[in-house]
Amino acid sequence: MRLLILPGCLLLSLFASTGFANTNNPCSQASPITFGILPFVSAEQLVIRFTPLVNYLSQQLNTQIRIETAPSFIEFSRRTSKDKRYDLLFTAPHFYPLARKSGYRLIASVDSPGMRAVFVVPKQSPIQNINDLKGKRLATVNTKSLATLLIKKHLNQHNINPDNDLKIIATPTHNASLLSTYHGITDASALMQPPYAAASQQVRNRMRIIAKTQRAPHIPISVADRISTACAAQISKLLINMSSSFEGRQVLKHNRFSGFKLSSADIYEKFSAQFYHPHNH
Amino acid sequence: MKNSIPLLQSLRCRLIVSVVIIEIVMLSILVLNNISIIQATHTDRLRDTANSMIHQIANTSGNYMVAVDYATLEDYLKNVIHYKELLYLAIFDRDDNQVISLGPFPEKIRPQTDISPAQTDDGIFDITEEIKVAGQPMGKVSIGFSLDIMQDAINKSRIRGISIAAIEIILTILVTVVIGISLTRRLGLLSNAAAEVEAGNYSVTVPTEICDEVGKTAIAFNRMVGEVSKRTQQLQRAKSRSTKLLRENRQLIHYSLQIQEAERKHMARELHDELGQCLTAIQADAELIRDLSNHDKRIETSANAIMDVSSRVYDVVHTMIHRLRPGVLDNLGLVEALKDEIKAWQSRNPDTLCEFTTRGDFSQLSEHSNIMLYRIVQECMTNISKYSQAKAVTISLQNTSEKILLEVKDNGHGFDIKERSEGLGLIGMRERVESLNGNLKISSEPGKGVCIFISIPLS
Repeated sequence: MRLLILPGCLLLSLFASTGFANTNNPCSQASPITFGILPFVSAEQLVIRFTPLVNYLSQQLNTQIRIETAPSFIEFSRRTSKDKRYDLLFTAPHFYPLARKSGYRLIASVDSPGMRAVFVVPKQSPIQNINDLKGKRLATVNTKSLATLLIKKHLNQHNINPDNDLKIIATPTHNASLLSTYHGITDASALMQPPYAAASQQVRNRMRIIAKTQRAPHIPISVADRISTACAAQISKLLINMSSSFEGRQVLKHNRFSGFKLSSADIYEKFSAQFYHPHNH
Repeated sequence: MKNSIPLLQSLRCRLIVSVVIIEIVMLSILVLNNISIIQATHTDRLRDTANSMIHQIANTSGNYMVAVDYATLEDYLKNVIHYKELLYLAIFDRDDNQVISLGPFPEKIRPQTDISPAQTDDGIFDITEEIKVAGQPMGKVSIGFSLDIMQDAINKSRIRGISIAAIEIILTILVTVVIGISLTRRLGLLSNAAAEVEAGNYSVTVPTEICDEVGKTAIAFNRMVGEVSKRTQQLQRAKSRSTKLLRENRQLIHYSLQIQEAERKHMARELHDELGQCLTAIQADAELIRDLSNHDKRIETSANAIMDVSSRVYDVVHTMIHRLRPGVLDNLGLVEALKDEIKAWQSRNPDTLCEFTTRGDFSQLSEHSNIMLYRIVQECMTNISKYSQAKAVTISLQNTSEKILLEVKDNGHGFDIKERSEGLGLIGMRERVESLNGNLKISSEPGKGVCIFISIPLS
């Protein structure tokens, strides 16, 4: 009889604990959580890069999370600000203030001193410094991208008018920008340092960094206003504590992130203010 | 001479029918096989095309699905939907909502993925594949291919195959008929020539213009006919010589029989006239001597002895005369002579019952016929007493006004006609019958007696 009672009790306790977990899951909702990621690389690369993070969060939150992106920065920005399409948002620092206006609440940011863009040229290129870029073709990502904003500012700081002194060629992704220079289509490429670091060794071995821009705050992670505070807090907690678990560290390593930290929206507001004027919005 | 051969036994007919049947069977197998291959090829092609297309769409759509860029995806897919066999194309997102639908997507429940175009339930080859990006499901793509075009192509191929086969069969029949007729026409000429030769016309020749197998056969046939003609002529000459010799021999036999009978008759008459008179004289003289002996015992004894001896000699001579030429035959006719002969035979063979019956009139028979029939019966009776050990003999003689019928039947041992050759007695009988232009038939089996039947035409 005891032999039967013991497994029965275990089953009941397991069932009860599961039910308890479900009823107390702040992120539980009928539809999956949509994780909107800025299309800074190709959609496939995004999925490859962020699937471990999404799986980790899904597992921890016991809720299905889906990756989504958009065809372009503009469309991503539109879907973010107008449609509020994404529950969880991974966007560029200069885009966050717009998202914030649509109700997105900052819950974490990548724990890093910041990102910067780099100017790279082929190793054999005669371009040695930023001034040599005059009259050359410079590949960037999107005119609205952080990299473009940073490099334009950097060029301006070096008395180079990005609109007249050189020809800026927009490419779909950071990688496309880098490869255009690698294959000789453009003379130089300006892209964010993390995508450059993630590029193939073969490509990087044949390239040379000639300049680096100022740092920008690292990627902010925010949630839509429809996400409950409890859920947002739980996600934030999970992100910030990722580096404390083996699984979390594996995910961070995969994403080349050192970790996540709490951050202030003001940082992004200030950063964005450097590039956007009220009438531009 | 024309030989009429039943159609089904005709070489020409059998040749043509055989070739046509073989051709039809082989072509049918070929056509069926081709149809099967064509069907399999089209089915495989459609399946491979569909799989390749859906795979390509699934691969291409992934990025658009992640980016939720359905408009661009739809623009891209609009180019794909122009593929003539593609009936519909639908994209479903991760929640299974239909986000893009090109072509008439079935209104019913989502179509089941078909394994093969040959195993569809509604004439549409439906397949669905998951859209994945980096192994992550991003939605599904469903495409449906109409089987009408494939079926049309198969039907056209089938009709083309059957048409080609039909044309080939018709051409084969025509060629076979022409070749069959040309081949068998010459064989027919050979056959007719053989029939002519069989009928005895050795002057026939078959044409030998074409030097193929039939031509060579025709040459050999002509040579053979020439040889046969030569041999036949030699044979006919030999036969005519033999026939002539046989006829002469038979005439000789008949003549010798006639001479024999005449000689017998002469001898009988001589014996009767000369020796009989002498013996009568001797007997009369012996009686006179005895009467004149005055009872002298020695003379009487000698006279009596002479009388006895002469009497015995007379009996012997009488018997010889009878055997040489029965007088009763000339005097009373065949029937009485036979009765007399049978009576004498019966007295010599008392254990055998002999029955003699006659019907008709025999008085008009020639002397030659009488003596021949008499001798035949005599020979039969001799044979019966010698060999048959019969208990009963029946002799039947009839005159049907057209022919004389003689039957001699016994219930003796009999013999196997096939094993035993005719003896001299039977050969003699046959010669006698043939001298009268008659027929002689002998039937016998061991243990079942012998029956000799003779028929002699009166004309």
